Amino acid sequence: MSVSTMQPNLDQLAGLTGVRAGALTRWQETGWPHSRVEQWRFTRLASLEKMDLRPASAAAVTGTAAISADLPKNAAILSFSNGVLDVADLAVLPVGVKASFLNENDTALAALAASVPASHPVSDLSLAVMTSGLHLEIAGKVDVPIILAFTGDDNGVSSHPVVSVKLADGASAVLAEWHQSAVGLSAPLMAIEVGDKARLDYAKVQHDSAQSAHLAATGLTLGEGSVFEGFQISVGGQLARLETHVTLSGENADCTLSAIYLGRANQHHDITTNMSHAKGHCLSNQIIRGVLDDSARGVFQGKVHVAPDAQKTDGQQMSRALLLSRKAEADAKPELEIYADDVLCAHGATVGELDETQLFYLTSRGIDRDTARGMLISAFLDDAIDSISHLGLAAMLRPVTTAWMTTSNHSEAGDQ
Amino acid sequence: MAPLLEIRDLHASVGDTPILKGINLAINVGEIHAIMGPNGSGKSTMSYVLAGRDGYEVTGGDILMNGVSMLEMESDERARAGMFLAFQYPVELPGVGGMSFLRAAVNARRIEAGEDEVDQLEFVKLVRAKAKNLSINDDMLKRAVNVGFSGGEKKRYEILQMALLEPVLSVLDETDSGLDVDALKIVSDGVNLLRDPARSMLVITHYQRLLNHIVPDYVHILAGGKIRRTGGKELALEVEESGYVGIDDAA
Ligand SMILES: Nc1ncnc2c1ncn2[C@@H]1O[C@H](COP(=O)(O)OP(=O)(O)OP(=O)(O)O)[C@@H](O)[C@H]1O
Ligand SMILES: [Mg+2]
Repeated sequence: MSVSTMQPNLDQLAGLTGVRAGALTRWQETGWPHSRVEQWRFTRLASLEKMDLRPASAAAVTGTAAISADLPKNAAILSFSNGVLDVADLAVLPVGVKASFLNENDTALAALAASVPASHPVSDLSLAVMTSGLHLEIAGKVDVPIILAFTGDDNGVSSHPVVSVKLADGASAVLAEWHQSAVGLSAPLMAIEVGDKARLDYAKVQHDSAQSAHLAATGLTLGEGSVFEGFQISVGGQLARLETHVTLSGENADCTLSAIYLGRANQHHDITTNMSHAKGHCLSNQIIRGVLDDSARGVFQGKVHVAPDAQKTDGQQMSRALLLSRKAEADAKPELEIYADDVLCAHGATVGELDETQLFYLTSRGIDRDTARGMLISAFLDDAIDSISHLGLAAMLRPVTTAWMTTSNHSEAGDQ
Repeated sequence: MAPLLEIRDLHASVGDTPILKGINLAINVGEIHAIMGPNGSGKSTMSYVLAGRDGYEVTGGDILMNGVSMLEMESDERARAGMFLAFQYPVELPGVGGMSFLRAAVNARRIEAGEDEVDQLEFVKLVRAKAKNLSINDDMLKRAVNVGFSGGEKKRYEILQMALLEPVLSVLDETDSGLDVDALKIVSDGVNLLRDPARSMLVITHYQRLLNHIVPDYVHILAGGKIRRTGGKELALEVEESGYVGIDDAA
């Protein structure tokens, strides 16, 4: 495939060196994966090739005004517009957080390149293009939540923010990504390293515009005795894939990586995780909940890999999808690759509909059918959201599902 | 004056199976009627048909409340019109908080009546007071609806809902089964508190002893999808003595 027909159009990209040059070469050799590639079997990218995109080069004039979120009040907000960081925001960073730019920090850039999902189109493309590259180093206990807010107004551009976050040993922090962008393609690339005995509370909301594609790749490395508590919600976009690769690289690390996807119309949500237990005595837990209306489609691919000497691994994964319409579809592909013998691993996946008996019980009390459906859907999702222990993040995430529900009750009459 | 509830030659099927085969019954305002009958005779089916459950298809006849047919009304509309069903098997709703459920139900009625929604704090007080009468403790009120409740607790929780919703027509489907002697007394007292010249009840039971507490004006025997006999409260005693032999199933 010649460079000029690939999307986005990278004709203007020149003069790359080091890991970025390597990434560009790999991208140009492979491009977007074909649907025959096993990891992309459920999520096809053909629609991307039909877009006419160029990498964003300037922030939108609107800034982050578009954000309609209950962001934690005391948060430090770093805004990325069309994937370009507003450098002035760095002034708000709390004590304990040190920022630098990836294009001026070869060490951090190399570490990021080594930690993000390997042989992944977003890793290669976004590393090469890098509309902005930010590196945050966090030491000590930082209570002020750091919010990365992504907006954008130009559907002719692709945005490639690259962010690496490194928590020193014993540090603690709260980090959230809020995506509410109208760019044609959002392709954020993240690398998060949680040092020994450090703790990170993390949330991501993908709330992009209905026409946008959102393809995210995140690499997460957890040190010995560290805790990562993460939650993702994918609710926006036309096509979305949130892919996270976790390496539990020290013993006694504890990783929660739960997610909710909410789809309607012809949205496609994909949550893909790769949980690699490289060391023993670690815990990983993933609760995935999906609600799909209309002709929406949801995918959960979750691989748990346990290395030969990663004994006493506890790896749990449970995915449940709720279909509100006959035309909605959910796929789950759990994969366990276990090479150690003394492990406790379990996974499960269910797809169901709302329970008619429960609906009848509610309506027989005078509660109208739409409200009754909303109550049962909330109950289904709360199960996952209740697991978030950081109150500020929970308070940010809850309204997202509530807002989705109040506009989700339109389709029932059509498919009966 | 039209009866509060009138069931006219009601035929109903579940799936393709006809279960109710011509029920006639009129309940005047203020009356309590009891329905007894063998297992599988169609008592619960009748209660579901009255409450408007999907899948319980009326194939003939009519159900009228205050002279108006209810057949075109959805279950929630019937409930807001004053109909209440205490389930034989109350349904567990994992994740649905009890208090918000009770409040949603009460608010639905109030909005229909053009009233304001309940004040949250006042409502908690009201629920606690009514729950206390039924020996329902705070812990039960905090849990998800019916989740982890014992059989008897579920039945008491049904009566709590009834007490909060103050229905004009209550159908109690075997609310006594699974209750110990004390709970039976508590539940019956709860039901009797709602006895009112403006309200009627249809009490489905297998046991005469409930009818000692909730004394009915009429007793009907349902068998094979039809009401076979109607009498006063002494009919319940007769059934207790000699069972359903002699009640003509083929009529
Ligand atoms: N979903 C269904 N499909 C087919 N048949 C059904 C269905 N539900 C109930 N029935 C049948 O309808 C008949 C009446 O059942 P129903 O539950 O109304 O009886 P009942 O009088 O309430 O019995 P019990 O005293 O045991 O509670 C039974 O023969 C039952 O098997
Ligand atoms: Mg029954």
